Amino acid sequence: MAETIVVETAGLQKRYETVEALRGLDLRVPAGSIFGFLGRNGAGKTTAIKILLGMVRPTGGRATVFGLAVDNPVASVEIRRRAAFISDEKDLYDSMTVDEMIRFTAGFFPKWRADLEQRYLQKFELPRDRRVKALSRGMRTKLALLLSLSRGAELLVLDEPTAGLDPAMTEEVLQALVSHAAAEGMTIFFSSHQIAEVDQIADSIAIIDRGRTVVAGALDDLRENFRRIQLVFDGEVPAATFHAPGVARVRRSGRVLTVLSTAGAEPVLDRARALHPVSMDVVPVTLKEIFLESVTSED
Amino acid sequence: MLWYKSWLDTRWRFLVALGLLMMSAGGIVLTYPRVLALLPLVAANDSGGALGQRIREAAALARDFRSYIWSQWFHGNVRQEWTILAALLGTGGLVAQGSRGALFTLSMPVSRNRLLAVRAAAGLGEMLVLALTAGLLLPMLSPAVGERYALGDAAAHALCLFAAGAVFFSLAFLLSTSFDDPWRPLLIALAVAAVIAMCEMVFRGLEPYSVFTVMSGDMYFRTGRLPWLGITASLAVSAAMFYVATINLARRDF
Repeated sequence: MAETIVVETAGLQKRYETVEALRGLDLRVPAGSIFGFLGRNGAGKTTAIKILLGMVRPTGGRATVFGLAVDNPVASVEIRRRAAFISDEKDLYDSMTVDEMIRFTAGFFPKWRADLEQRYLQKFELPRDRRVKALSRGMRTKLALLLSLSRGAELLVLDEPTAGLDPAMTEEVLQALVSHAAAEGMTIFFSSHQIAEVDQIADSIAIIDRGRTVVAGALDDLRENFRRIQLVFDGEVPAATFHAPGVARVRRSGRVLTVLSTAGAEPVLDRARALHPVSMDVVPVTLKEIFLESVTSED
Repeated sequence: MLWYKSWLDTRWRFLVALGLLMMSAGGIVLTYPRVLALLPLVAANDSGGALGQRIREAAALARDFRSYIWSQWFHGNVRQEWTILAALLGTGGLVAQGSRGALFTLSMPVSRNRLLAVRAAAGLGEMLVLALTAGLLLPMLSPAVGERYALGDAAAHALCLFAAGAVFFSLAFLLSTSFDDPWRPLLIALAVAAVIAMCEMVFRGLEPYSVFTVMSGDMYFRTGRLPWLGITASLAVSAAMFYVATINLARRDF
């Protein structure tokens, strides 16, 4: 059976006057996955998320959520009916109490889950009568989570969900997300530049750099296929361009040629042997290394 | 729930406006006996020029309670107060909200047009309540100074206030979809009001067509007929500005 895709973008572009925030973003988020959206600060993550939710208008390319075009105002309302969003600022209404925020949000969602509301109120120990402006950042995050998880959404989009949280709170939030996704079959799409938390909970990822997708796929596949091959020569590294299937990056430094392969080591080794290196080393690559290799300029 | 949110966003401005208008209306009514006591002094005034003429006109109007209320309030203080309060109520909204909830609002399954419509309707509703409450205070307080003010007059003037005030409300509302702070929309709307008022003073021939003439209910006071043309024109200008605001907001990135 074909894999259901919840979020799909193709060549998505966004230009703000002189700044190109997105320069052809390609994404495919499978239904039921926990999708980590990685990139450096300013890579275009927030812009992409806002486009998906109809907050920013794309200037080119195509984007759909649940198969609905994000730039169609009517479809965009339907997307937001089926999706939840938590911004990096966790912006809520400061003048409302926790209880008022819950009632306000519940009013928009016919599938509101009172059982989940009660469960998360207790789990997160949220004070119902306290005004939002009096909540700590951690408590705001928990309230935003409650509001998102209780609405019966099929997709939860989070922009830097753990930004500004201490390690204990970060762990609590991540665990809540994972257990909710497992229990309810919800798709989670979250942006982050915290590699460790993506590595901890994501099953699929995309890494973007300067508005473009540079790496994407299931995390297990990436771990399996990404290899760093280090070739050492007894003289200068051959000047010839290094082409082989799956070569993502090639870096030359003195007598050392480092190749990052996205298709295992064999195709590269086959090609490398012809260059007669003194030594060839193949090492698996961690997500952090994949990230750093992907967002660092090629020589 | 969007109505409740709009109320929360504007409630302090509304309550302050209500307090100010009620104090202003109450003050005008309750000082009437003192004004009457001063009238004999005006009769003895023989100042020449424009100032003397204006004093004598004001004194003539003050001899009748209905004329006094119109000249001192609807044609006087309230025009400035109402313009400022209408512009103040029109500011704010999604763009000025910034990180205090704008993205949360936009993540709700509601179109931007509906968000704007609810906010506009809530603001106009508040203006109607302000105009009626302040207007109705006049007939309610008049017996306290031994006078009578017709309920119909109060309602007619409230309608004029509301329609003309809607122009400045919608102007500030429109500007609020362009600027991300509440001050520039307010200041620009007030600057526009000041320019209109100056034009009215400099070019006397324009006065009958001025929004402030509609606001003061000049025609109703003099003829007993509501200025339907002015009311309709004010509401049409206001509707046009709301329409431009929806286009503006639809194009905006957050």
